[in-house]
Amino acid sequence: MNYVGMFTLMKREMVRSLKIINQVIWPPMITTALYVFVFGVALGSRVKAPHGMSYSVFLIPGLIMLQVIDSSYGECSSSVFQARFMNWIQEMLVAPMSAYEIVFGYISGSIVRALLIACLIMGLGFALVHTLPRDWLLYFGVIIDVGLLFSALGVIFGLMAEKFDHLAVLTTFAITPLVFVGSAFTPAQFLPPSILRFEYFNPMFYAIDAFRYSYTSASYLPLWLSLSVITGLAALCLGIALSMAVVGYKLRA
Amino acid sequence: MKRYGEFTAVDDVSLRVRAGDFFGFLGPNGAGKTTTINAVVGLARLNAGSIRVFGYDNVTQWREARRFIGLAPQEYNFDRYLSIRDILIYQAGYFGIRAREVRERADMLLERFGLASKAKLDYLKLSGGQKRRLTLARALINMPKLLILDEPTAGVDVELRLELWELLQQLNREGMTIFLTTHYLEEAEMLCRDVGIIRAGKLVAQEPMHELLERKGKGLQEVFLELTRSGPAELV
Repeated sequence: MNYVGMFTLMKREMVRSLKIINQVIWPPMITTALYVFVFGVALGSRVKAPHGMSYSVFLIPGLIMLQVIDSSYGECSSSVFQARFMNWIQEMLVAPMSAYEIVFGYISGSIVRALLIACLIMGLGFALVHTLPRDWLLYFGVIIDVGLLFSALGVIFGLMAEKFDHLAVLTTFAITPLVFVGSAFTPAQFLPPSILRFEYFNPMFYAIDAFRYSYTSASYLPLWLSLSVITGLAALCLGIALSMAVVGYKLRA
Repeated sequence: MKRYGEFTAVDDVSLRVRAGDFFGFLGPNGAGKTTTINAVVGLARLNAGSIRVFGYDNVTQWREARRFIGLAPQEYNFDRYLSIRDILIYQAGYFGIRAREVRERADMLLERFGLASKAKLDYLKLSGGQKRRLTLARALINMPKLLILDEPTAGVDVELRLELWELLQQLNREGMTIFLTTHYLEEAEMLCRDVGIIRAGKLVAQEPMHELLERKGKGLQEVFLELTRSGPAELV
């Protein structure tokens, strides 16, 4: 195993994130602060949340998951695509790095960025609504699990895309709508049964519900079910991303 | 052999480059030079045949084979997010060399290529000639035994070209095997001990440079044109 190569790529991804900090670190912070202000502080007192918690406290885990999903997909998809498009991926392809090491290098860099953003928003949540996770193991575990799932999806789309526009397809037509209807803002208990039925096909619903448990010790779905669904999907996407890299899909002629 | 769909880019090319050689691989545009290089470094996968680099098969023992190779591609493909010094250090990292072990070598190479004062800059701030030097420095960072150069002097001025020739000769004298593709035939004639000429994916000549020129009784340009212009592609 070329651990040094993999670590170098992970470090490179972090350097990239810091170089474009105004695109990838500050926007999620500002967006979250605005969501908390508009939905939590301004409207939150009129909205009921389950288990007697305040709506602002209910909101924070959903907002963290929203940004974790968005940043892990965005990091991997744009970084892999850019490296292909500008051809600097050759630096890795001619080096003694396996497809597994390259994929894990990208994914680990992306998960580190997701963890950083999650922790910054957690700090913001603490400052604004005085809430912190109760179960730290679950908190980090779900972030890593969900980060893995969406980073792997990012690798898949980064390899498939022919132009930057293609990367936005998943975000615009799947990720953002599914997160918004996936109980990030709305407690599942308050959804009409006809809509709730569709939530069982929404992976974001499982991710947000499991993550919210780390804050509130309460969830709509059994925790084991949510974790199994996320882990299963992460394994599936990782398998696809690795297979594409191993066959050299759009990488090696 | 390497095929892209119905198109055969390289066919029945059997090359042997001796350790320590300065080998010129010549051919017109689209003849299969870059495809051959890509096959050697693992960027292209062969449909048939095999390649060994210092005894290591570049498919079954790819990790060992790649450690020996430094590639200077024709196009600039530097990482946009790294400084010039970091481009070298990260490239070494991909080769499994830790940053602390390679910093000194990176600084030495930047010094040797006249880029020391630009070490912290973005590569976009470099001139064409400086980018060409950086390509070479990056290819040398992992201490390769085989340096593959794809048109290393394309688009550089005469002064830099002479400077690069001197540097390549020096590297070769130090024992490095050099595999060079170029369209500048005087460059190949001046630098290379052995030469291979490819046309339409087939090797049409492979022998020591002086023997080829003596046998044909012509300069390299005439020989090249004779071999690459007409008739079926056959090894002469």
